[in-house]
Amino acid sequence: MASRPPVVEGAPRSRERRVRGRSRWRGYVYVLPALAVYLVFAVLPALHTAYLSLFEWDGVTLGDWVGLDNYAEIFQDPILRRSVVNALVLVVFFSFVPIVLGLLSTGLLARHRRPGMGAYRFLFMLPQVVPLVAVGVTWRWLYGDDGVVNQALRAVGLDGAARAWLGDFDAALVAVGLVGTWVLSGLCMMLFLSGVQKVDPSLYEAARIDGAGPVREFTAVTLPHLRGELAVAMTVTTVAALASFDIVYVTTNGGPGEQTTVPGLLVYRLAFSEGKVGLAAALAVVLGCLILAIVYLINRLSRSES
Amino acid sequence: MDRTHRVRRRVAATACALALVLPLAACEALTPGSATAVPGPTAVPSSTAVPDGDVTLRLQFADAPLMVDALIAAFEKGHPGIDVEPQYKSFSDYVQNLRLTMTSDTAPDIAQYAVGMTDLAADGHVLDLAPWREAYGWDEAVPPVSLDQLTGGRTSEATGGRALFGVPAGLSMTGIYYNKELARRAGIEAPPKTLAEFEEQLAAAEDAGLTPLGVGALDSGGLHLWAALLNQLMPTDAYWDWVNGKKGATMENPAAIEASELIVEWGRKGYYNESANGTAQVDSTAQFAKGDSVFLINGNWAAGQLATAMGDRVGFFPMPGEKADSPTVASGFSVSYAVSSLSRHPEAAGVFLDFLTSPEAGQIISDNGFLPPNPDAVKKPTGVLADIADGHRRAVADDGITTFPDFAAPAMLDRLRSGVQKLIADRVTPADYLDSLQDEWEDHHGE
Repeated sequence: MASRPPVVEGAPRSRERRVRGRSRWRGYVYVLPALAVYLVFAVLPALHTAYLSLFEWDGVTLGDWVGLDNYAEIFQDPILRRSVVNALVLVVFFSFVPIVLGLLSTGLLARHRRPGMGAYRFLFMLPQVVPLVAVGVTWRWLYGDDGVVNQALRAVGLDGAARAWLGDFDAALVAVGLVGTWVLSGLCMMLFLSGVQKVDPSLYEAARIDGAGPVREFTAVTLPHLRGELAVAMTVTTVAALASFDIVYVTTNGGPGEQTTVPGLLVYRLAFSEGKVGLAAALAVVLGCLILAIVYLINRLSRSES
Repeated sequence: MDRTHRVRRRVAATACALALVLPLAACEALTPGSATAVPGPTAVPSSTAVPDGDVTLRLQFADAPLMVDALIAAFEKGHPGIDVEPQYKSFSDYVQNLRLTMTSDTAPDIAQYAVGMTDLAADGHVLDLAPWREAYGWDEAVPPVSLDQLTGGRTSEATGGRALFGVPAGLSMTGIYYNKELARRAGIEAPPKTLAEFEEQLAAAEDAGLTPLGVGALDSGGLHLWAALLNQLMPTDAYWDWVNGKKGATMENPAAIEASELIVEWGRKGYYNESANGTAQVDSTAQFAKGDSVFLINGNWAAGQLATAMGDRVGFFPMPGEKADSPTVASGFSVSYAVSSLSRHPEAAGVFLDFLTSPEAGQIISDNGFLPPNPDAVKKPTGVLADIADGHRRAVADDGITTFPDFAAPAMLDRLRSGVQKLIADRVTPADYLDSLQDEWEDHHGE
């Protein structure tokens, strides 16, 4: 958004105020092109979605104004509510686990400068480069009846544990979540590793001279320096979980039953296959608000600590 | 920055947003959608005269591009004045945009019939072809049961008889494939005559240590199985009323409960492949071809693949009825084509549709793995394809081809798919499952 140019503190006199006023307007002129693009392609579509959510509309014929009925339906329909719960479960796998794994590996790698850190970062980044649809299709094979996961289980004698992971009512959501873990762990590791490089090596040295062990070193030196990276990682991964669509669509399409149905999938289905554009828009608005609230919370927490 | 300033700015921003939204809400013209009056059902003229001069027809479709290309090539050879320009779309793309496409000013002349076409027909966006039933003699050339699927459950205002919103090219039908070698190993000698006998055979396969029935319930395999059982237990007319959205129709009936209970019971007995809910139809077909199960539920569209992979070792039968003399009832649909009411050359479109009912077109359809509308006009197929043709002939003779249940409403496919998955895993009672279907039905058909 447009931010105001820095304000000069001091006793304002009328001439100064005029100059200040003029330069302020000039500042707005500079941001105008970006602002216009942002308004046309982000703000207006969002407002339009919110507006559409007040209608019952099939996407073609004249819509009916229904006020907040669509929102009422979201909170009453068990499938829609279920989808929000599923998305929150996915946050554990998309956000919590990758961040813990990222911190762990950073703790292990950060203590000593080793050659080849660039190679590590490249490897961790790889899952980010593969399109999510390809990731989903590949994991569907891995999770299949005769897929690698089951082959591995059978090879170590755990025949009883082998199952069709994506078709199992108890395992499907976890299986989909773990795909997200695989994708996002690398991102978190990479973020933290590059964050750690900013840390002055003498700090580690000082900690070691003071007799800190690896754990103490991590909590006293590494972690405090990663606060900014942590906030970014939490924001990105939480949004990825709540707005997830592609992985679920490709692997399970929301099944079995509604075990892996997520809001993003329902927005797509309601709008494009079921002709309930208003309800889809309402769900999108609720999802958007939920994401904004969580992101606000994360930012608030990370800032108040600093 | 002082606090009051910031607060004032926030208030201003909120006011701006409100000022933007409020007039929008108040303004009628901004209500989404077009207010164009719905003309209601419109019929073609009964004349079949072909216009002079060159005509180009745009044909939008989603199934069997190779077959469509071959049909068009053969048609254009016989009708040099008419060009047919094919526009292929992927199936999901096609279905999702069907309403928009057919209500736009640039609607194609001819479009493949799909879920949602009934609503478009009711609003007059596709033409009622009923006057041509007689003019072209379609009632004789095409088995009535194939045309009955295309009436939208309506009476034609032009002829007073049954309406007609499309003409079929290839037909499809679901049923059970069986692996002859595995069946013999389980002591199964011949296809079952009754549903009870089929259950005995499933039990025999289970006893022989084989997987009895392959189901690809990740996508549509489960609902095909449910519909196949429903076909045997529920009166066909009541089923049709429900799919066509006839007032008062309901799926909450004893026959549907019985069919759903069978799905649950077979699951409890371990008749399905263990990962049925995680297996797509294509994958269940491939597993069956490898010899993973004795039986497989699927449609004739899988026949080509299975015939190639298994040769003489595979057979097919429609789901048997309750008694040996019960009529053969199977679900199926056709690759059919409707004519847009915006087409400037409906007569030319009629010539093309009529060509689809000809023996020449029938042979092309058969060669491409579909069932031709008029099977007598084509060469006799062999092997599993002969089983399918034979089953189809019996179903047609018994007036027993029903449509797929997801045609009942746009959102029905998702309800059916997830619902049958729950039945298979014994996670829902049949009554609750049927209740969810009926809810969706009432949501769409308004009650």
